[in-house]
Amino acid sequence: MGDFVLSFEEADKRKLNLVGGKVSGLGELLKAGFPVPPGFAVTSVAYREFIRYNSLTEKIDELLSPIIESPDNYTLLEEVSSRIRNLIEKSEIPEVIKDEVLSAYFRLGEISGISDPGVAVRSSATAEDMDDASFAGQHDTYLNVRGGEEVIDKVRRCWASLFTPRVILYRIRHGIDHSEAQMGVAVQKMVKSEKSGVMFTIHPTSGRRDVVVVEAVWGLGEGLVSGICTPDSHVINKITHDVEERRISSKEIMVVYDEEKMDNVTVEVPENMKAIPCLSDEELSELVRIAREIEKYYGTPQDIEWAIDGTLKFPHNVFILQSRPETVWSKKDRGPVIGRKSGYDLIMDMALKTFKIPKR
Amino acid sequence: MNGKFPRPLEIEIPENLKDWEEMYPPHYIFSKDRESWENRQFWFLDKIHAPDPMYPFDLIFHEAWQIALSQYTTRVFCIPPAQGVAQRIAGCYFYICAIEPPSEETIARKAELFQKRAFHVFQNYKRENYYEKWEKNFRALGEEIKNIEVPDLPTFEPEERVLPVPRGYYSSYDLMEAYNRIIDGIFKAWQYHFQYLNLSYLAYLTFADTVRKLFPSISESVIGKMVAGAYVVMFRPEEELAKLARLAISLGGNVRDILTSDRTPEEKLEELSNFPEGREWIHAFEEARDPWFYVSVGSGWFHYEGSWINTLEVPFSYIKNYIERIEKGERVERDLETIDSEREKLVREYMDLIKNEEDRKTFEDSYNICRDIYDYAENHLFWVEHWFHTIVFEKMREFGRLFTRYGMLENEDDIFLFNRFEIPMIIEDLVTSWALGENIPARSEYWKRKAEKRKDILEKARAWNPPPALGTVPEEIAEPFTVMLWGITSEKVSEWIKGVTYTAEDVTEIKGFAASGGVVEGRARVIRFLDEITELEEGEILVCPNTNPSWAPVFTRIKAAVTDIGGLTSHAAIVSREYGLPSVTGTGIATQVIKTGDIIRVDGDQGTVVILERSG
Repeated sequence: MGDFVLSFEEADKRKLNLVGGKVSGLGELLKAGFPVPPGFAVTSVAYREFIRYNSLTEKIDELLSPIIESPDNYTLLEEVSSRIRNLIEKSEIPEVIKDEVLSAYFRLGEISGISDPGVAVRSSATAEDMDDASFAGQHDTYLNVRGGEEVIDKVRRCWASLFTPRVILYRIRHGIDHSEAQMGVAVQKMVKSEKSGVMFTIHPTSGRRDVVVVEAVWGLGEGLVSGICTPDSHVINKITHDVEERRISSKEIMVVYDEEKMDNVTVEVPENMKAIPCLSDEELSELVRIAREIEKYYGTPQDIEWAIDGTLKFPHNVFILQSRPETVWSKKDRGPVIGRKSGYDLIMDMALKTFKIPKR
Repeated sequence: MNGKFPRPLEIEIPENLKDWEEMYPPHYIFSKDRESWENRQFWFLDKIHAPDPMYPFDLIFHEAWQIALSQYTTRVFCIPPAQGVAQRIAGCYFYICAIEPPSEETIARKAELFQKRAFHVFQNYKRENYYEKWEKNFRALGEEIKNIEVPDLPTFEPEERVLPVPRGYYSSYDLMEAYNRIIDGIFKAWQYHFQYLNLSYLAYLTFADTVRKLFPSISESVIGKMVAGAYVVMFRPEEELAKLARLAISLGGNVRDILTSDRTPEEKLEELSNFPEGREWIHAFEEARDPWFYVSVGSGWFHYEGSWINTLEVPFSYIKNYIERIEKGERVERDLETIDSEREKLVREYMDLIKNEEDRKTFEDSYNICRDIYDYAENHLFWVEHWFHTIVFEKMREFGRLFTRYGMLENEDDIFLFNRFEIPMIIEDLVTSWALGENIPARSEYWKRKAEKRKDILEKARAWNPPPALGTVPEEIAEPFTVMLWGITSEKVSEWIKGVTYTAEDVTEIKGFAASGGVVEGRARVIRFLDEITELEEGEILVCPNTNPSWAPVFTRIKAAVTDIGGLTSHAAIVSREYGLPSVTGTGIATQVIKTGDIIRVDGDQGTVVILERSG
């Protein structure tokens, strides 16, 4: 592929500036052999070419100038943001970029065995601090996009999301020039998520490193991430693979993709699926196995999004959608929990423990 | 009852158990004169050691451990705040209690002694081969008891005892002495039993505590896996059978066919003795017999459980099963090397996860102390509860046979209906009538009537469900034995209160230890007594007071196991993990609230049992 489009396989961490953190993360996972749904990235070079081709820099600067003076005027900010995004969405993408995107999309169809495969189109920020967990969900995501023209349209909309009010404000606050803004866009084959969830290779509440915590819901992971669904939760010992905790929740609602509305909708979970576990034992242990491998590969605890495709057979149905380093516990400088105590100190402590009986 | 347990003297013992007290020594009975102290303690039904009504003679092992365990804690190694474990019997059921701590001053004095004495043992246990020395002493004691002769009473003393110089003492004394030596041996054996046990449990609890601090809420079964692997001696009897199975196959045709036939063990041995290969097999069988088949079919605590040496059907059915499995290409032996290397890998991987250098060293120290001494906790069990108890029961049966020969008792096992203080009276009555001359009546009728009456009381006691606990609920329990062996924690106690306060039908979920992972649903089979085990059907979930390793054949037929008593190192827990069955132990009330036929879900990961559907 050319400068404007890179397949995930080509988009490892050396290409971070071109494809953004999300895609380079997927590229790394793919390179390491993890089951990532196939796809390609529209690079930041393509974005810059698009801006240049349409001479947008000056136009955007002009629209932005009143905001620079009064960044606290939110009504104004909303209006400016909407006008810039409108401008971007109306601008023409150069043929040369279109061609590369279309042929990459065509190839995705070939390897998937269907023409016009459904894809997810997501922004993938290149500025490192914008890739922070705090920015998750700030940029747009379009699910189940079908057909080359639709894909191109959604790529443009992702670009436009660089100018949502919050992102504009973020750049102003951090003194980043708006002309520096750029992003990659990920175009990834959709997984028909029968169930999905997240997993942590460190216990998110206790910081225990010997477990993998797997949370699972029916349908799409959006239900879990947004907090509207109570997941099944499993604490699995990384080393022995023993299930240490298994909480099967009553799952009332789920988020699924509605083909007609062409959008995610929240629906009631069918009665016979509410109380049963989402994951089979083999799926659970495959997820844990993958989680451990990913953690080993990166050398730090990970926060992983996964999905299981209901149309495929195990183990080919398990997909990793994203893996990020866990930030809370990993950043803590963990001092000693017990400190240096000899075995005899510990024995003495234990031997001195009292056996209390309430007196009448 | 306001969520509290009855005071000891408030228990309503059924009328039909009248006179139960006379079967036991007076210091085992709750009484007015000790009431205020007894009310202040927390007594719980010891179903792990005594699920059934207590036979008077069988109490002897408990008498012996009450003294020995307690003495090691209070007078020998002096575990500072811990006192002994006291025992009582109420309505034929056995209660124990971990006593309130001593005064602060005593704790301080004990702390000094403990430090010096216990630490010395920890330091030298491995280096100075304490275990090997222990085993040598203990086996010598067992051999001594095994070799005691229980003499018959001759019509006339043989000449060689009289001439040329009269021996000076004769069969009447020999018989009394033989009995006394056995009793002394039992008490001594139980003193040996606790030589290192208190300390090995303490080391385990210390390690478990260290691991839990570093890995909060880590499951006990993982901790168990880190220290286990020393469970070798207890598995040896089965390993011997596996060897005999392989020998049968290698010896060829007839040996294998005879051993896999449906004949009785006696018929099999008879047939095997008719040809050289058969005799070779019998020779190997005899070689393994002592000590390895001196293993109880049950826990080892009760005469009626039997041991392999007197219930040959058990080892012979194992052998048949092993031969068939080996021929199918299965491996019947435990792979000791794999068990060892997996344990080492587990510990290493855990250490790798401890990022702080100081914590890692602390973990390692604590682990090493525990690993060094923990083999004692696993190995003593075979030698004391199985091998030694089998020897004792066999000796007592020799007395039983003597008594029936002289009409003192109806059946040889009736001897176990008398406590160890009463049997000398029977012996004295017998030797007196023998000494007095021809046709001198003894009080045979008195003893026989007593035996009949006691059988009846014990039978009726089976139908009674005694309260799980009595007295004052403690705030916290930390006495090593209470926590480790009986699985008693404050959570358990509140579960028991539930069982007392609510009727069995109201309870739909009970909690225990998550002893062996996995979740299954199925039909419950409540087995309160060993002899009901034949009722169990394939694929049912076993619900019982407790189990032990020689129930192994049962574990191949069940889906899961639930027990009233026992922690994560109880037999049910260990065997369930071996067989990969979900298991919840130490529920306190499972046999009371679950009925045979109920559909239950056993969650061995969470330690819960849910009653999904009540039968009938």
